[in-house]
Amino acid sequence: MEVMMMLVYDQPGVMQRVMGEFNRKRINVETIVVGKCEMPERARIVLSIENREKATSVIEHLRALHEVIEVDLVSSDRHEAYALLFSKEGVCRITGTVEEVDQIVKKSQPERYIQAMNAI
Amino acid sequence: MKGARAAVELLEKQNVQVMFGIPGGVLLPFYDELVQSDIRHILVRHEQCAGHMADGYARVSKRPGVCVATSGPGATNLVTGVATAFMDSSPMVAITGQVATGVLGNDAFQEADAFSLMMPITKHNFRITDPKTLPEVVKKSFLIATTGRYGPVHIDIPVDIFTSDITEEQMSKEVRVPKPKRNLSDLLDAIKLLENAERPTIMVGGGVAWSQAGPDIVRLAELLMAPIVTTLMAKGSVPENHPLVLGVCGMHGRQVANYALNNCDVLLAIGTRFSDRVTGKLSEFGMKTKVVHVDIDSSEIGKNVKGRVGLVGDAWTVVHALIAGLQKRKKAATWKERILVLNKECDCDYDLRSDPLKPQKVIFELSKNLPDDAIVTTEVGQNQMWAAHFYKCYGKRMFITSGGLGTMGFGFPAAIGAKVARPESVVADIAGDGSLQMVVQEFATAVENDLPVVVALMNNGWLGMVKQWQKLFYGSRYKATKFAGSPDFVKLAEAYGAGALRVDRPSEVAEAIKRACKADVPFLLDFIIDPEEDVLPMTPPGKSTTECIKGRCMWKGDVA
Repeated sequence: MEVMMMLVYDQPGVMQRVMGEFNRKRINVETIVVGKCEMPERARIVLSIENREKATSVIEHLRALHEVIEVDLVSSDRHEAYALLFSKEGVCRITGTVEEVDQIVKKSQPERYIQAMNAI
Repeated sequence: MKGARAAVELLEKQNVQVMFGIPGGVLLPFYDELVQSDIRHILVRHEQCAGHMADGYARVSKRPGVCVATSGPGATNLVTGVATAFMDSSPMVAITGQVATGVLGNDAFQEADAFSLMMPITKHNFRITDPKTLPEVVKKSFLIATTGRYGPVHIDIPVDIFTSDITEEQMSKEVRVPKPKRNLSDLLDAIKLLENAERPTIMVGGGVAWSQAGPDIVRLAELLMAPIVTTLMAKGSVPENHPLVLGVCGMHGRQVANYALNNCDVLLAIGTRFSDRVTGKLSEFGMKTKVVHVDIDSSEIGKNVKGRVGLVGDAWTVVHALIAGLQKRKKAATWKERILVLNKECDCDYDLRSDPLKPQKVIFELSKNLPDDAIVTTEVGQNQMWAAHFYKCYGKRMFITSGGLGTMGFGFPAAIGAKVARPESVVADIAGDGSLQMVVQEFATAVENDLPVVVALMNNGWLGMVKQWQKLFYGSRYKATKFAGSPDFVKLAEAYGAGALRVDRPSEVAEAIKRACKADVPFLLDFIIDPEEDVLPMTPPGKSTTECIKGRCMWKGDVA
């Protein structure tokens, strides 16, 4: 897994343009988180993709986009994960390392769940 | 002032002298302001051609061409023109009208999501939803189109933006766009490779045509004793009468050019993206070669050819840096001698006298009879490849073609655009009957605007290139490639008010070309050519040059 972090302009159409590059290169985005950040009118995108080869094939194309201010691969030993488990009792939130979250999800076998791996 | 007035003033301030377009409902406020403007507006007959004309204009003037289309069908028609410019890195500002912001997204009359449609085929695009951003968007568009690697920029403008108020303060807002970063950190490695090369070859691409670095590259080639091969897009950027310039390489390239490309030990590739039409089988391309890849766009380095020394910068700057860094050297003298001999021997059998008329004869006569500052455009298909292979481009001659997208119907409107940019030059479109029928209505535009372009129609009654593939790779099972109901092109051109002449004998070709060049109306030459003539030599798609189909090509040098 490779984690990529981008600083972009916070306006409509940006996600379509960024995702367009992944689409063209046939790269599946495993997880994506987008949100406002410390700078006004800017947003950060953090996403994870399968491997480094794919990441390097798209990164220069992303840098060429005028709405993307910076792109970099994030190196970190400890990747955080987040999951929401849906059951009859309600919604349960889990955060932790990738391994921890993965284990809990596997163990509890929830009816429906969503896992955001690496990208937070 | 109103948005429409502001838009026109902004275009005038960008020194826009001409725009190509068709109005429509949502563009009425804009066109109303154009009434008082000095900007020349050329009314086209189909929006696609507005795009190609702006593209042709840009390739000659090296300034952004401007095209305008209305919302919905206007925008969708424009798509092909914009995509063509994008694939060939041509600077363009494409403006489309849009339905009012209040109904945007509600499937209003003539609404199409032009912003999304244009996104993957533009360098950047804008949809204006706030009138106060109009001035900065227009200024930015022109900057983006011409900063770094050139490309088309699209602006989608809803009709109510044209009728909103814009303040002087908004008009005077300064804008900046980031310049692409240069990266010459591997320059010393590149110089070392080139200095130690025994068989260096320089391959130039469209980037060289845009940065006009041709003369400097010739100097570098002489210094290195390296032959120069060009891609289709670079044809005309280096003089083809120079002994070291071997001409166009690739699928239908000259054999000597492919020989140099496949037998060099160091390849200096400048402003090219290693298209599949050049490399053939990518896995076998340059296996014995060390590649130095120069491109202004960092995303091109390593995209198609891996394992290279990459230099990110514009062709002109990098070539000058290389010339400055290179020591005098003489090692490649034997290679140079060999190439010079092979280049002389690589002269094809034109079959100049035989009946029916051979297309090569027509191109040969065009090459001989067009003036030294002629601009040649081509359509796409056999006509394009014959032109690329047999037409000689030197001096002030230009060669304009749709290399990347391969758009049939590009050449005629591009010729019209080129004529607008350089009215004093003879502009000739080398056309095929398939391509011309896609854009034939533009004869009206050419006649109406007094733009006397020459159309040299290679009329063989077939979609020739597809037919050739059916013949060579599909056992001559022809499907949907024969035109059984073609018009009389001479009468058709005359119906538009253009001049026309049918030529079917080799002896008449030269005289006809001279007559067309002197005409003061658009002039069509209907060359009835041999329908059985293929474009050869040809390297089959996805194969290496060792598997080249030679036909009548008399090349004796080996390839591998």
